[in-house]
Amino acid sequence: MKQISKKSALLIGGFLALAGNGTFAAAAQPMSGEQIIQQQCTACHTKTGDASKPYSRISQQRKTPEGWQMTLHRMVSIHQAKISDAERKQVLKYLADTQGLAPAETAGLRYGLERDGNLVENNDPAYAEMCARCHSGARFGLQRRTRAEWDLLVQFHMGQIPTLELHSLARDRPWFELAMNEVAPKLAEDFPFETAAWKAWQAADKPTFAHAWTIAGYIPGKGDFDAVMQVRDQGDDRYALEIAGHYADGRPLSGSGQAITYTGYEWRAALTLDGMKLRQILAANEQGTQMTGRLFMAGANELGAEMVAQRAAKGDHAVTRVMPSHIRQGTRQEITLVGAGLQGTPELGEGVRVIKTLSAGTNRMRLLVEADKQAAVGLRDIRVGQIQVPAMLAVFDQVARVEVVPGESIARVGGNGMPVAKVKSAYRAVGYASGADGKPGTADDIRLGHMPATWTLKAFDETAEQDNDLKYAGTIDANGIFTPGDAGPNPERKMSTNNVGNLSVVGSVDDGGGQVSGEAHLLVTVQRFVRSSVQ
Amino acid sequence: MNTKKSTTRAWLALAGLGLVLSGCHSSVKQAASTASHEYLLTVTRPNQLQVIDTETNRISRSCDIPGYFGSGSIATSPNGRIAYVLSNKWEDIYGFDITDCKMVFSAKQSTEKVTVKTFFSLTLSPDGKELYTIQNPVGKLPDRYQVMQPQLAVFDTSAGFDVQPSRRWPVDRRITKIATLASGEVVLGGADLKAIDPQNGKVRVISKLQNWERGPRWLTPDAFAVSSQGEHVGEYIMPYVTAEFKDDSMNFETADWWWGMSRVDLSTGEVEQLETVPFQFIVFSWVTDPHDANIIYGAFNTLSKHDIKEKKTLAVTDMDHTYYTINMTSDGGTLYVGGTSSDISVHDPATLEKKGSIQLPGDMSTADMRLARLQE
Ligand code: HEC
Ligand code: HEC
Repeated sequence: MKQISKKSALLIGGFLALAGNGTFAAAAQPMSGEQIIQQQCTACHTKTGDASKPYSRISQQRKTPEGWQMTLHRMVSIHQAKISDAERKQVLKYLADTQGLAPAETAGLRYGLERDGNLVENNDPAYAEMCARCHSGARFGLQRRTRAEWDLLVQFHMGQIPTLELHSLARDRPWFELAMNEVAPKLAEDFPFETAAWKAWQAADKPTFAHAWTIAGYIPGKGDFDAVMQVRDQGDDRYALEIAGHYADGRPLSGSGQAITYTGYEWRAALTLDGMKLRQILAANEQGTQMTGRLFMAGANELGAEMVAQRAAKGDHAVTRVMPSHIRQGTRQEITLVGAGLQGTPELGEGVRVIKTLSAGTNRMRLLVEADKQAAVGLRDIRVGQIQVPAMLAVFDQVARVEVVPGESIARVGGNGMPVAKVKSAYRAVGYASGADGKPGTADDIRLGHMPATWTLKAFDETAEQDNDLKYAGTIDANGIFTPGDAGPNPERKMSTNNVGNLSVVGSVDDGGGQVSGEAHLLVTVQRFVRSSVQ
Repeated sequence: MNTKKSTTRAWLALAGLGLVLSGCHSSVKQAASTASHEYLLTVTRPNQLQVIDTETNRISRSCDIPGYFGSGSIATSPNGRIAYVLSNKWEDIYGFDITDCKMVFSAKQSTEKVTVKTFFSLTLSPDGKELYTIQNPVGKLPDRYQVMQPQLAVFDTSAGFDVQPSRRWPVDRRITKIATLASGEVVLGGADLKAIDPQNGKVRVISKLQNWERGPRWLTPDAFAVSSQGEHVGEYIMPYVTAEFKDDSMNFETADWWWGMSRVDLSTGEVEQLETVPFQFIVFSWVTDPHDANIIYGAFNTLSKHDIKEKKTLAVTDMDHTYYTINMTSDGGTLYVGGTSSDISVHDPATLEKKGSIQLPGDMSTADMRLARLQE
């Protein structure tokens, strides 16, 4: 008796001790992304025994952080993988770092990550109807897979969207057979798992981020801005941000935020600027001297614009923005140069004189500038000390043409007690001078850059006029932000249709008294109930 | 104000009465000729079979269907008594006696390892002893999906509950509506119209669509039957859209766009394929006038009437909202336009004038709107 009880007491003690140890170890050192995959994902995925591709389905594909996010989200929401949010983030970081895309592999397709719904794609006909009709071509253009994985992706679509074969543009062809026999092999060729670019990037020295950066961009409703973004290293590719700067009209701007980098160059930040919650999705160039991408509202991703961050470390010299980027012949105006390592008096090209330096910082210079009456119409290079940037400032005679961007856009009705918020759209006017031939709309037009404009809407076509779309589809404000109508059937409308509509957005630029206008097409449509991290 | 309101209400009451009266009248006529009574069957959300008396245009019975809604496709037994309904996100089949809502049949097509969807494909053998579905199976492996061969599945309707298929034959992908010929063959509404013999699995082409041989001047048709009914005249319609190009440049802008259909006479098996009317508006489903096969009616955002020999639109009327499906009493007296929402719009085939509306307790969505001729 005694012996037995002693033994079991020992066992219990040992068990307790072990359990205690385990918890302690876990608390002190959370599982790595790889360990989580090994322990949690293998509930369904198998170990292949191949050290270079250890897990079935997981190790044979590469994608962007957002691509991985989409897959992992599905593992949890559809397949009920039991992993916590913290573990998911850990796995996302691990997979994006070790199975990502090289910077060159995302070039030209970054819009797929940047949450701007208004870009028009030009897809390879082999993919346009087969693949890029439900989502963008960037969704697969931003992935690299083995042939077997492209095949399994087709199988996945059939299982996930059972009626896929019956959709318009699928039922008029043997969709599944075409996808397996023609599209998947082409995908494997165009977007192969193994590439020289990825090998090189894995071996390359990666950019560092804990520096000062000069950032410049545009916030819809607020305007152009520039600022210095101080980046502090917090370990594990995480950073703390402090931002201070100005809007174009001189009002100050400040805020702070958090960032994380993936794959050595993919920068994702959440910030609060003057109380506005914003996001940055940027990519660093391979040298790590510049990041480019998009800055947008966290709560309304469609409201945003491209932005650039210039590293402003010791020895960095660059001009990234000239605001405004145009000056009329025979006029005098203020111009702000934004960049890094700005030193000395700038030269703005023939016929453009700096009258006075209003303020001279190394990241920002304000100048009073005059263009001669006789200054030739055209683009000027800018020189500041050792920096020379081509075609940065335009001298113009008159605004010959206005382009409203985006030229093709979508807004979505929403709200009104429905679960999906309205999707707005925002416009800017870009001015052009007519160039040497004196005719606007030709190849030699000179882009003057963004210009202030007044905004109106009109019916896009006859049908839109008959259906009175202008009355129902929404309104545009002085900042060029369009707000669509409420969701849900509207009994006032024909067939109680939604507040959808087909409109033209008209931006008018004042050109010394006369108005020059441009138009963009705006389709106001119904809600999209599924939002994806890769369009 | 007050008087106006009360007159309106009085008028509505009269109209209601009028409908009931005319219903009684036609019942007398029908009783004399066929000793049968026609019901309109549909499925509404959350998941109920609605049995509607075509004499009163009122719901006689609502039968609860197990499982989640979808697709609400219906096939009726030849004696009009049993309605088989596709339920539970296009997977399960339940059979109900429409006179008392008693469930008499059930089959779950999916298993833990294989998800089986049926895209509206449901029909019965001429003797009612067998139920046919087209199964589209996808294997659910632990870390992947695997698309499997679609099959015609044959169920014994007298086998009761949780019935397993007694036979299976491989068929093409993309099959939607199916129907049974008097010969026993099953018409398969796929890329081309085919017929399969459920005894031996033999398949023959009865009307080429995707592989039609009309030359480069004709666009491959976009054929799609999800809301076709046709039992009021014993026919199967596969509607399509095509374009005839002016020349070999295949210019979509200058092409002539057509509605067309492959129409099968289910008693003889005869098929005709023809362009019916120019494409002017969207039509989701078509029915043939029982008195004149040359007259068809179509519905979607509009209800329209066409002469297909003359390729002429005879009448068009705007609908209050979108309707997916159309059906007709077999005496040709009433048009029913339904699907999508929670009402069935009742129209006079002669003028297309709206005669009434049947309010349902829920949305019909993709559900069928079938006619059951109950033998009494
Ligand atoms: C409960 C089962 C289950 C678990 C646990 C699970 N998966 Fe999956 N996974 C699946 C299934 C089923 C598929 C195939 C269907 C699909 O792609 O959604 C899949 C597919 C995948 C794919 C291929 C997706 C594509 O686009 O081709 C990846 C990558 C993946 N899983 C990663 C993971 C990772 C990483 C984990 C662990 C965090 C995980 N899975 C955990 C079931 C699971
Ligand atoms: C019927 C619409 C449809 C078509 C057609 C379609 N897709 Fe998709 N695709 C989807 C949906 C929906 C998802 C999102 C799945 C999810 O919830 O994660 C998706 C996801 C994807 C993903 C991301 C999967 C992951 O987890 O990484 C890729 C890559 C993709 N599709 C490529 C393709 C390709 C290639 C084709 C053509 C062969 C194609 N798609 C055709 C609807 C479609």
